[in-house]
Amino acid sequence: MATHSTLTSDASAASRPKSRLIPVYMPYLFLLPAILLLVVFRYYPAFSAVFHSFTDWDGTSTSNFVGLTQYKALFNDPIFIKSVVNIGIYTFLRTVFSTVMALLGAELVYNLRSYVSQGIWRIVFTLPLVIPTTVVFLVWRQVYAARLGLFNQILTAIGLGGQAKPWLGLPDTALGALILIGFPLVSGFGFLVLLSALQNLPTEVNDAALIDGCTRLRRIFSIDIPSIRGPLALILILGINAGLQEFAPMLVVTNGGPVNATQSPGLYLYQQAFTYGKFGYSTAIGTVLMLMTLAFSIFILRSRYRSAHDVEV
Amino acid sequence: MMLKSNTTVQSATAIRSQARTKRAAGWRNDWPLTIALVILAFITYVPFASVLINSVKDNKQFFTQFWLPTVPFHFENYSKAWPIISQSILNSVVYSTPTVLLVLVVSGLTGYAFARYRFWGRDIIFFLMLLLTFLPGILLVIPMFVEIKDLGWINTTQGIVLPWSAVQIPFGMFLMRTFFETLPREYFEAARLDGASELQLFYRIALPLATPAFSTLGILTLLFTWNDLIWPIITLLDASRYPISIGVLRFSGSFSTDFGVTFAGYTLASVPLILVFIFTARRFMAGLQGGLSI
Repeated sequence: MATHSTLTSDASAASRPKSRLIPVYMPYLFLLPAILLLVVFRYYPAFSAVFHSFTDWDGTSTSNFVGLTQYKALFNDPIFIKSVVNIGIYTFLRTVFSTVMALLGAELVYNLRSYVSQGIWRIVFTLPLVIPTTVVFLVWRQVYAARLGLFNQILTAIGLGGQAKPWLGLPDTALGALILIGFPLVSGFGFLVLLSALQNLPTEVNDAALIDGCTRLRRIFSIDIPSIRGPLALILILGINAGLQEFAPMLVVTNGGPVNATQSPGLYLYQQAFTYGKFGYSTAIGTVLMLMTLAFSIFILRSRYRSAHDVEV
Repeated sequence: MMLKSNTTVQSATAIRSQARTKRAAGWRNDWPLTIALVILAFITYVPFASVLINSVKDNKQFFTQFWLPTVPFHFENYSKAWPIISQSILNSVVYSTPTVLLVLVVSGLTGYAFARYRFWGRDIIFFLMLLLTFLPGILLVIPMFVEIKDLGWINTTQGIVLPWSAVQIPFGMFLMRTFFETLPREYFEAARLDGASELQLFYRIALPLATPAFSTLGILTLLFTWNDLIWPIITLLDASRYPISIGVLRFSGSFSTDFGVTFAGYTLASVPLILVFIFTARRFMAGLQGGLSI
């Protein structure tokens, strides 16, 4: 294997005895563009970020090593602590809520008997996905607006006008309002992935369950959900990763306010670097964020595979 | 860590025959489900419908009648919004197109190499690349900004396209590898016997068969580039170079006093991808749902 490469179709197969020799450098030639791009724009910045979190870097070429000073400052920074608490609440509630709603939507569509209506509903809940996310945030900022916001208009229309308030302007309601952007959160990537996973399940199992007198609700919890564990875990990981890094809704909708009620580590990192020029401090925020993300991803992957006894279908 | 993905797109006939089986089994009728779906869809679309309706009102109409369309329709809101947003739409196309192409080409090559060759260091290189998908992008933003600045690429197209491509390639090469592994080895052996070179094997056999996986990756990359806010906001200083994700923010500033124009701008910003979706709906959805799993 050291002198020449051989062709194979799967990782575990031993090298093929009679295959034609391929120049050793061939696979590396195929990998070259990716390696170049990833070294320059992924690996180097990652090492640079972690390295500079131990310095007082201000974005120029010189920086002094300061040990754990940035991290000590970070954990004594009430705004950072507040932002971590915020993003924890945000990520947990939003991931749970959007996964449950995506599953609900996918199950509703999957249980339709007509193939045509399944197709139509799939389009209905896919279309919102192509609206630019910044537009979605701006539209929802308008939904929550104090004056002539959709939400307050609805409250007024159903006689609850007294409850109308500037939802994004109050520390008590701003974070909740951000979490519920896109309500009812059915539409999205998760919906499509889960629906396709359900549609790929063999019908024989469902038919057998039906014959055995299994109710629909029972089938969903005992057959459907265990069978689509893989896609569900994927959606959870993607949701948590995206949630912990969240930056755009805070920037566009609330700018972290009022009084840091919606401050997130991602936004704080951005502000520290590009408003205050504290690059070392903000790379420390990024490093903490990376450790958090890795910890959650590994936790989910482990719990997914610890008790996994997937039946290959 | 085990990861698997299955990009086989179920054929329409397969789904149809499944549906027929299900219909024969008959699990009561569709009405309660349809009512639930109508309610969910209604709530999903109300904010967007409200924007659409109010985009043809002037402020006076908007303040007096929030819910219903009012005459006369002020279509000039759209002609006012267009000059504010048009450059951003064009910029987004300029940034997204090369990114999507580059991601497809590089991920295709990489995934192919991992799937079809055995070579020294294959597993460790693959693992190191896959590890990048778990790296939070926001951590890399600061050193990358300094890097781009040192290269003199601030405010340039390549300063957007190359880093964006690097974000998508780890996932892309993983997707393509999984797909290429499902291709029967016999195809390649037959072609090799007929005297095809290694490069010919790649672009005459593997590439044409990989269309479904490429459309998945292409659409995911398009959505990512169309929506990404943080990287352009950091590397582009000149408002005339902003993509759509930043461009629409201009309406929230000085133009926010005219609600009709603002809403018309939001609508115009959404049109390009909605058009892409309408013309490619089947492939678009097949691409997005590609049976992803871990």
